[in-house]
Amino acid sequence: MNLSDHLPAFLVMIPLLGAFLTPLAASFGKTVRSVFFVLFMSLILLTGISICASTFGGNILVYVMGAENFSLTLPSGMSYPVRILFEIDAAGALMILCVAIAAFAGALFSVAYMDRFSGWKRFMALYFLLSAGALGMCATGDLFNFFVFVEVSSIASFGLVAFWRDKPEAIEAGFKYMLVSQIAAMLLLIAIGTLYGKYNAVNMGALSSMMRYGTLERIVLAILISVLAFKCGAFPIHTWMPDAYAETPSGVTCLLVTVSQASFYGLIRVCFSLFPGIAGGGMVAWILIVLGCMSMFFGVLMAVVQHEIKRLMGYHSISQVGYMLLAMGVGLLALGNGEKMAEYGLTAMKGGLFHVMNYSFYKALLFLCAGALYYATGTRDLDKMGGLARNMPWTAGMFVIAASAISGLPPFNGFMSKWMIYESSFAVHPILPAVAMITSVLTLASFAKVFQAAFLGPAKADFVAVREVPAFMLAGMAVLTVMTLLLTLFPGWFTGNLFEKAAEALLNQRGYIDAVLGGM
Amino acid sequence: MWTQLDSGFGYWNVFVWLLFFVALSCFAVWIRSLGRTDYKRNTDQDEIYWSGNEVPDDGAEISVPASSSYWGFRVAMEPLYALLNRFHSGSASDYAGYFIVTTALAGLLILLGGE
Repeated sequence: MNLSDHLPAFLVMIPLLGAFLTPLAASFGKTVRSVFFVLFMSLILLTGISICASTFGGNILVYVMGAENFSLTLPSGMSYPVRILFEIDAAGALMILCVAIAAFAGALFSVAYMDRFSGWKRFMALYFLLSAGALGMCATGDLFNFFVFVEVSSIASFGLVAFWRDKPEAIEAGFKYMLVSQIAAMLLLIAIGTLYGKYNAVNMGALSSMMRYGTLERIVLAILISVLAFKCGAFPIHTWMPDAYAETPSGVTCLLVTVSQASFYGLIRVCFSLFPGIAGGGMVAWILIVLGCMSMFFGVLMAVVQHEIKRLMGYHSISQVGYMLLAMGVGLLALGNGEKMAEYGLTAMKGGLFHVMNYSFYKALLFLCAGALYYATGTRDLDKMGGLARNMPWTAGMFVIAASAISGLPPFNGFMSKWMIYESSFAVHPILPAVAMITSVLTLASFAKVFQAAFLGPAKADFVAVREVPAFMLAGMAVLTVMTLLLTLFPGWFTGNLFEKAAEALLNQRGYIDAVLGGM
Repeated sequence: MWTQLDSGFGYWNVFVWLLFFVALSCFAVWIRSLGRTDYKRNTDQDEIYWSGNEVPDDGAEISVPASSSYWGFRVAMEPLYALLNRFHSGSASDYAGYFIVTTALAGLLILLGGE
């Protein structure tokens, strides 16, 4: 048996196994628990890297569960797949890599961060489940399985948002997120059920090959766009995000950032692979562009005036999602027109995917820095902080890197992805990059405020005894800092080997269908 | 090239910028080296200058709190912020309502919008 053939199964199996073994591992004490947690997250990271290596040559990994053979997509006598099926191309692999790295960094950070608190068993089990859900969303080729993984990640995240049960704010944030999320989940199930009722299939490749673009399909697409835009935090359906991000333990917020990106991946997969005939070139593209511009502008406008650090960063998440929606909207606008795609569409898509990876790392790092500040000072209120750079030099240094990157300062990676988005969206209309640039300036203003308030200025009497956070927390932050710097220093390599391949995979609808149906 | 990014409209090379920063840093270090080094340490000469006043022991007394930053911007944008604050009411019913209205609006636009 060649283990590498089963990588897609390991991707979900390892975190699920981790979740089930958590009560056992946690009963052996702190050291065993920590080693177990980091070891399992390392295995997930290794699996993610291996999957990336397998797919960036242009391969599409297909894995069938429950069949006589894991590569048997079509049971004998049947025209369409009926089993649990994973289908991972370069776009899916890119997202898996983002989730796996953020999950690993968040786990390292949490080993020390959560040590002060009780409820480790719950925390670890939910963290594993959240990872499994997010990885499954990126790996699956089946709409119903996608729904199941969305629910796995949602249920785990409800528990983690409300993890500190003694804090009313956490319970409230968890409840609100759960309420709206469940309405979205029901609509998602109705949309998938509608497609199943009409086409007798839920496999995305099979559906894509049969899709006729009538009224019913348009309604289904509208529901899917709305649900997935809600899950990734687009304006005006973003309202759960600042509350949830602010109240969640920071190691989890780091992972939640990539979970929202898994939903964003679902959104672009639906538009590019399932409904390209409706989504390409018209109203759907403009819906994404408008949602993107509103998210960018109103997200950052709300962020500028916040003084609770994680809430401020939560609003910035909405703003950053706006860049990606804008990029993918511009890509969709060019879909089906070779000339426009060559002129600006492909650049927009590469820029958008570049921004997905950048955002996954620098935003996750910013949340970890916010967690480090909370750990050291016991407050999230920027009004109470000050002069911490002297006592926490490593945290301050890594914060500067992440803040510069998210603000789009050259030569950091955030600048490069934004630059690609500015240039490509300019070809559609000059107002689009103008909105994006104003957003970037306000982002810089906002993070300059955070840096000044938390790290600069005279030391405050309450924080004279503050010391740098423990090594495990610094290690988690360092993983994301290294990734941010690698993306900064080698943008050509990452674009040529990752983002371009991922963008081409999204555009290759025929290849996505054929990988499952075998060229039928 | 690993360090160069081509967008189709132009290119970006990281190391050109890094060279620029290195050159700028050298220039800054050179300027700093021109400063006097013969001041008396641990006297009034190395005290923080705070408009001629004595610097308080607790930094909290002389800090500008984060919520006071960009005060002018916030006041100038007051009507918009009032609207945005009303939008973020904190009510779960409102949030569910926004979601339903957005879904309906997206459906309407996609149905009417054609391809």
